[in-house]
Amino acid sequence: MAGKIYSKPIAFSVLATVAILVGTIVTMAYPMLRADMHPKVDGLAPLPALELAGRDLYQREGCVNCHTQTVRPLGSEVVRYKGNRAEEPNARYSLAGEFAYDHPFLWGSKRTGPDLAFEGWLKSAAWQYAHFENPQQIVPKSNMPSYAFLARSPVDAPQTQANMRALRRLGVPYTDADIAGAPAALAGKTELDAMVAYTVSLGKAVDRGGKGGLEIDLAEPNPVATDVAAVKRGKELFDAQGCSACHGEEAEGVEGVAPSLVDDTFLAVAGDLPDAAYFGIIKAGSDVKGQLGRPGLADGGMQPYGGELSDGDIWAIVAWLRNQKAHEAAEGHGGGHE
Amino acid sequence: MNDYRYDHQTVQGFILSSIFWGVVGLLIGLLISVQLWAPAANFAPYLTYGRLRAVHTNGLAFGLGVGAIFGLSYWIVMRLCKRPLLFPKLARVQLWLFNAGIAAAAVSLMAGYTQSLEYAELEWPLDVAIVVLWVMFAVNVFGTIVKRNEEQMYVALWYVIATVIAVAVLYLVNNLAMPSGFTKSYHVFAGVNSANVQWWYGHNAVGFVFTTPILAMFYYFLPKSTGLPIFSHRLSIVAFWSLIFAYLWTGAHHLVYTPLPDWIQTLAIVFTIFLIAPSWGSVVNGYYTVGQDWTKMRSNYLTKFFVLGITFYGLQTVQGPTQGLRVVSQLIHYTDWVPGHVHMGTMGWVTMVTAASIYYVIPKIYGTTVYSEKIANVHFWLVLVGQLLFSITMWITGIRQGWMWKATDAEGKLVYRNFIDTVAGNYPYWHTRTLAGIIFVVGMLFFVYNVLKTIQKGRALEAQATPPASAAITAV
Repeated sequence: MAGKIYSKPIAFSVLATVAILVGTIVTMAYPMLRADMHPKVDGLAPLPALELAGRDLYQREGCVNCHTQTVRPLGSEVVRYKGNRAEEPNARYSLAGEFAYDHPFLWGSKRTGPDLAFEGWLKSAAWQYAHFENPQQIVPKSNMPSYAFLARSPVDAPQTQANMRALRRLGVPYTDADIAGAPAALAGKTELDAMVAYTVSLGKAVDRGGKGGLEIDLAEPNPVATDVAAVKRGKELFDAQGCSACHGEEAEGVEGVAPSLVDDTFLAVAGDLPDAAYFGIIKAGSDVKGQLGRPGLADGGMQPYGGELSDGDIWAIVAWLRNQKAHEAAEGHGGGHE
Repeated sequence: MNDYRYDHQTVQGFILSSIFWGVVGLLIGLLISVQLWAPAANFAPYLTYGRLRAVHTNGLAFGLGVGAIFGLSYWIVMRLCKRPLLFPKLARVQLWLFNAGIAAAAVSLMAGYTQSLEYAELEWPLDVAIVVLWVMFAVNVFGTIVKRNEEQMYVALWYVIATVIAVAVLYLVNNLAMPSGFTKSYHVFAGVNSANVQWWYGHNAVGFVFTTPILAMFYYFLPKSTGLPIFSHRLSIVAFWSLIFAYLWTGAHHLVYTPLPDWIQTLAIVFTIFLIAPSWGSVVNGYYTVGQDWTKMRSNYLTKFFVLGITFYGLQTVQGPTQGLRVVSQLIHYTDWVPGHVHMGTMGWVTMVTAASIYYVIPKIYGTTVYSEKIANVHFWLVLVGQLLFSITMWITGIRQGWMWKATDAEGKLVYRNFIDTVAGNYPYWHTRTLAGIIFVVGMLFFVYNVLKTIQKGRALEAQATPPASAAITAV
């Protein structure tokens, strides 16, 4: 019997088709019928018009070739992308339910650059703008191309509306008002605005911000304020943690990205605050700024470093910053401010 | 001359087209390899890495790969069915449509029209064109096989048939999309489901574009060029059925540690390990075939292409399943290890066997011999060295970077907290990769030159054999 099949092309083809379809049905078709392939996190909303336009651009520019969008449930990975701030243990890595409206998924297969799944929790819009314009200015050794050209093209509103309608046909719950309101939402926006809006939205469907979790006592002194070794170590930590990428090599700030840490303003308000305020923001990120009564930037881009740095480390960095500020003043740069 | 002449010109057309798109795809590969270490080489929006990478992969998989598969499958089908193609004109139309389609594909990808699905980037109008192309191919393959003049279907035909069926199923399902215009559409599947369908497709596109049709070439052209019969027919049968059965279960090994349900990942990993057996069925069959007379390695210049090709296939099919294991995946997934793995398959296995098959076919069309075995040998050594340097370099830097991502101190804090610190160390390896690419491309240019000179030689012989009518009259 077995030999005959090789002289009967139709029967052979049928048999080959069956062989191919078994695995196809079990691992690809059947799962579609199961609920675990269609989860949705509570409160998941479709991307607003500007963010959707950004996602379309993310696709157009092939960002997916170098950036993944899934934080794996591995210890080192959770720490790297700061998922460990999330209170819910399973929100520390990417969840299936976050991607319910992702047509298609954009998880990618190669991390030439970092994962972006939690990007919305990590970087400010200001950082994103500056980085898209000139990546090497922010991250000197980066190999990312400049996307400054996006700033020169307006977002295509009619196409975005057509895209929203296509997605609605696939079950993404856009309302008539969402679609009708798109041109107004996109008016005057460039492609770069859309790309940044999408980037800072990533990972935001799930709460990974942490609660700050820190009561700041502004009267608390820096235990290593006068310790020379701590000042030296503070500078080393400042470099090792990549603080200079946003705040400049000498903490003097980077225009349009992040403020100087050695001048007399704090969170965009004149008048410096004591060491404990610096300690609190380094440890718990922008979330604690409410306690300081200073609003800062609307999107508050400072991420918490309490996961990487011990309290002693953070105080050492603050000691170096204070030392640095004193130097600046002594050299006369800050003379006028005093 | 004979009934085959027209079909042979079609076969040659596919081979030349595939070589042309191959050179284009390779040069773009060199450019994007430079862009990885020199971001200033992203000269314009349509020449950025993000857009060009798909031109590189599509150009080589569909231009070089599928072009050669069309041509060489037709050759194999004609020989094994002992008749010309059933629809010769259709094959010629297919050839022109193929070239128009690849050209349009390259332009559309540079314009940024993409579905963002790996190896299925092309937008829906081009998907329609590809389906039409594939139907043309299927009609000719099945038609010719049904009307064949040889009772038994030889192994190579099984692999051609499996390719035609599987690619059709894979392509149709994964490219289901909702258009929102002529240049934009959305995958009908969402989230985890989208990922699962895509990698069911993505892995099996590798299986049924880079494996089964290449095995068809291997099973046909190895015995033809060496004169040695395939060692075991029984082994061929077992390997064939278990390969095409097991392949389709394995796509989710690309999604290890993602939010895809664990049971699908685990099932995929198990079948991936099983897949070593049928893959090595063909490897063993290949070795024992040549083992009947190892002197062929010296006396026949094509034998080494096939032996090294099947060797890399063997390594590839052990390395791949190893990568599927969770413990390995967490180290090397998303790193440069993976391009190292892929390029061993494409540069080592696919290109070696395809080039050897073309070296066999082109002289046969003209009843002559290859222009220069010496050039073929230079080609062989250059692509071998280029591919090894490429893959080994990528494996090293992949492990290095994967380890840096994972490195934590006693308190669980990252040793290399800044992502860029894990990237900066890649640069020397990326320079080496470009060098390896240049060596490989130079090797391939020797191949192209050799093929073109062989055709020139063949045409000169044809012109001698059939002098123009007027000349014949004067001679009488």
